[in-house]
Amino acid sequence: MVARSKFQELLAATRQPPKEVTIRVKRYDPETGKVWYQDYKVKTFRGMTILDALLQIKEKIDHTIVMRYSCRMGVCGSCGVVVNKKPSLACQTQIAAVASEDKPIVVVEPLYNFPIIRDLVADFGDFFNKHRAIKPYIIRKDPDEVEKGEREFIMDPHDLHEIYEYSLCIMCGLCYSACPVSAGDPLYLGPQALAQAYRFIADVRDEGYEERIKIVDTEHGCHRCHFAATCSAVCPKMVDPASAIQRLRKIVFMKTLGFWKKKKITQIAGPLKEPLRQIEAKYAVENILEGVDPEEQAKREEKIDLEL
Amino acid sequence: MIIMARSSRLNIWQYITAILLILVLGFHLAERIPGLSPLGVESYEESLEAHKVETAYNKYSIILSILLITALFHGLNGLRGILLEYRQTSNWTLLVNIIIIVLFLGFLAFGFRTIYIHIASP
Amino acid sequence: MSTRKSKVKLLKNMPGVVRASIDPFLVRATNNPERIMFILHRVTGVIIVLYLFLHIYVTSNTIDSARWNSLMEQFGASIVNKIGEFIVAGAVIFHGLNGIRLLLVEFFGVGIGKPEHPKPPYIAPSLRAAQRKAIYIVAVLSVVGWIIAGILIFTGYLELPL
Repeated sequence: MVARSKFQELLAATRQPPKEVTIRVKRYDPETGKVWYQDYKVKTFRGMTILDALLQIKEKIDHTIVMRYSCRMGVCGSCGVVVNKKPSLACQTQIAAVASEDKPIVVVEPLYNFPIIRDLVADFGDFFNKHRAIKPYIIRKDPDEVEKGEREFIMDPHDLHEIYEYSLCIMCGLCYSACPVSAGDPLYLGPQALAQAYRFIADVRDEGYEERIKIVDTEHGCHRCHFAATCSAVCPKMVDPASAIQRLRKIVFMKTLGFWKKKKITQIAGPLKEPLRQIEAKYAVENILEGVDPEEQAKREEKIDLEL
Repeated sequence: MIIMARSSRLNIWQYITAILLILVLGFHLAERIPGLSPLGVESYEESLEAHKVETAYNKYSIILSILLITALFHGLNGLRGILLEYRQTSNWTLLVNIIIIVLFLGFLAFGFRTIYIHIASP
Repeated sequence: MSTRKSKVKLLKNMPGVVRASIDPFLVRATNNPERIMFILHRVTGVIIVLYLFLHIYVTSNTIDSARWNSLMEQFGASIVNKIGEFIVAGAVIFHGLNGIRLLLVEFFGVGIGKPEHPKPPYIAPSLRAAQRKAIYIVAVLSVVGWIIAGILIFTGYLELPL
């Protein structure tokens, strides 16, 4: 049932969008403090995204509209906006998926729960500070192991699998925008930072879990989460912050009760016992063309005329 | 970040009281159900009659005491969470904590008074 | 936290905790019944706390049996009180059943799936795991429990009013 609704959503994106859609943009002017909705009529083409439409508006209709974007392919995470009340990446949302012939109106708002600088541009300062607050880097008891970095840490593919999903976060802020707790509590660390806290606590290379648990174990830390799971539902990279926060909270509880101990901490890889095996490069012995000697063919000089 | 206290202790109690409440409140509600009731009532109204209530207070005073403490703690701690999400200044946090503690102790004393009077005068 | 705040006037774009706790259409994310459960859990929780205060106050009247009996007679006569009781009963049943689910998910960390490599159609594991099935079970059991509670409250007996 669930998969089907998601599938319908994906299928809608492949359809032809309505010929002309109205993009209703929530705008904000910081100089006058005015907030208003402005409608723009945009001619569509198949495969047009919200970002394409916004850029077309900026190029041809209204130059004063402001938005943030960079890569246009869902990698950088800077074009997060709220489309029809759902936080989404503008570059990954097809107009065909959000507008239909019956209702050719798309409402584009800036991300909720963020302070707005202008129009669709949100201030990510606090968001990044919260991410910084949970120390998103490998902490070792001997800092030289990381800073000098002479050798790598040992990590099984299995250990990587445990945290790989959470390490895909692109910090687009959609989860933070969808969270019902962030909607009222600006001190709440937010799904992104808490998921990253779990990602580093669960990392087998990390030894800084004690400090991180102290940071998340506050009134505005992981205990404010109520598992509404909207963060996981809107995440464009399937990071699943909801499950990360539950796992993190379980660790915090078990640590407080004294039942939790980090199962595995890997060590730095030792020096090589013998130098790396060197392989001598050889031409293929059997060629697909019969009667051709590859060695001889390689020796043959070929004149390539580069000047056209 | 204004408060850096460890809140996991309080929240562990929130879940422990949740487990207790499922058992204790389940019993408390079962008293009202004909056929299930340990008071042997035949209808819902009968379970609320004075002599049945009197028996319930005298016979199951320990369960009622546990119910009073756990329900008040669980409910007020939940309310506190909502209020802390409402506003985040340190004054507000202090005010919320004081109000919650006063309500907790006040209702606890009031509830225990009722239970005590029942036990003292059988 | 940011230093720019003093120079530029930023628009506060937060709906607030009250709106987030009662409006299920604040964020229209598809495939997310957890949010509806969160809102119901919070609303029923507040109802129960308010009832608890009232309940502790009202039951203090039991020390005087005559007064208690007349109070209960008065109470049973009014349909508004019965409806109020019915709502509280439904709130308790839902809060309890959903509470068991949240206890398992939040405290014991079970029912939220295992971490996995993303693959189409990109639905997060926790939205497909056992807790999602538990949501449907909780919803069905709550409705059934509420109907039974309604029969008990309005008729006084646990028999179908046929």
